[in-house]
Amino acid sequence: MRSVMTKTTVYLLTFALVGVLFSSCNSSQKKQKSEEQDIVESVSVDGKLVDDFKKSKLIFYSLPSPLETAMLIKRAGATYNEDLLNPLSNIDNYSTNRQMALNLGIYSADLSYTSLFDQTQSSIKYMANAKRLADALGIMDAIDEETLRKLEENIDNRDVMLDIISETFMSSNAYLTENDRPAIAVMVLVGGWVEGLYLATRLTNGSVDNNKRLIDRIVYQKLSLYTVINLLDEYKSNEDISYILSRITELNEIFEEVEINNTSKIEAETNAETRVTTIKAESEAVISPVVFDKLMKKVAEIRTEFVS
Amino acid sequence: MRHLFLVTLLFVFSAFASAQCINFAKNVGKEQLGDYIHDGNYNGAVLEEGEKAELYKTFFSGESYRVAISKVKQLPDIHFRILDKAGNVLFDNVDYDYRLVWDFKVESTQMLIVELTVLDREGEYGDILSGCVAVMFGLEPDKKKKR
Repeated sequence: MRSVMTKTTVYLLTFALVGVLFSSCNSSQKKQKSEEQDIVESVSVDGKLVDDFKKSKLIFYSLPSPLETAMLIKRAGATYNEDLLNPLSNIDNYSTNRQMALNLGIYSADLSYTSLFDQTQSSIKYMANAKRLADALGIMDAIDEETLRKLEENIDNRDVMLDIISETFMSSNAYLTENDRPAIAVMVLVGGWVEGLYLATRLTNGSVDNNKRLIDRIVYQKLSLYTVINLLDEYKSNEDISYILSRITELNEIFEEVEINNTSKIEAETNAETRVTTIKAESEAVISPVVFDKLMKKVAEIRTEFVS
Repeated sequence: MRHLFLVTLLFVFSAFASAQCINFAKNVGKEQLGDYIHDGNYNGAVLEEGEKAELYKTFFSGESYRVAISKVKQLPDIHFRILDKAGNVLFDNVDYDYRLVWDFKVESTQMLIVELTVLDREGEYGDILSGCVAVMFGLEPDKKKKR
């Protein structure tokens, strides 16, 4: 496993590196064919260096995506209300990177919501808006004319529509992350998360008693907020991120008043045959009507600012 | 000086490979989800032998999630565990032949940690392998949901 690097190895590696870079520029068509071979690398290295390199553990934070949030809202028995969506015409107001990124997330959440409620014509329009913002942000090929055409062709097939939506969201996110624009990627994710929270809170009609399941989904966003804050904190040297973090911190202060407690030990039961693990724990979440009202108002305030 | 060169080399190789992980995630990773709906999040990176990654995710009560980890064939097995916030192990794929696709149901909403460790190859090698690893989350579609 360990070896000492010799001059010859260095020269060979340099040649290999130049070769790899040249071939990456010239062989985009053959990428699909030899996907796996192309992305495996083998590098001779110094033992101590390897140890140092391995010390840094990679940490990822996965927010509920716009699609997951829309599913949670629908499965909680909420209804469809088009009036809650960010109007399509607002797109003309977005010219800065922050506005475009946040609203790409927001329109993606609206797109997911319309699709899950089979509002196909609205879905196509929201996808078109998402495409305009993705283009303006320089996200190449995430949403192209082909995507829009496929969406229109499959308006009667919700599963295919959801698949197209999830793929465009993943492509946008990956493009930004892999092209050294993670701050923009984080803003897109946060915009989508805030819109999901906005839709969910408004769909309760302001009451903690109307739809207990939906309230439950909202309250447990306290756990996702931890992820949002960690994501933003990682890129807070960016001025836009720093500002968004300050706004999200205001939201966190209200979520601090929400109590979530595991009332039993977390245990797991695995069925090896069906390959399913059930994680069992009793948990209790409490939000008072006063805190919920504050939360609703704060979410609306932040979201109004984002879409303005 | 030599260390600087090596770090640069590792970085450049990683950056090059990383740019291709999205294609790997789309073409190889997503397939592992079967009929579950991909949530749309992208969690892909180049990992090396012996390297560890952790992913924090909220699992919502009553939902069924499919966690599908995919790796390039040449990489050794991946040790995959699910832990709670306190570090208690709730699932360990060592007990199930290093399987990388598994379904999880949670009775109450929990923030869980998906931990991956790329194992080292057995024996002595003069190089280290690295390659794309993708973690995809799928949600059970409506038609299959048991009420």
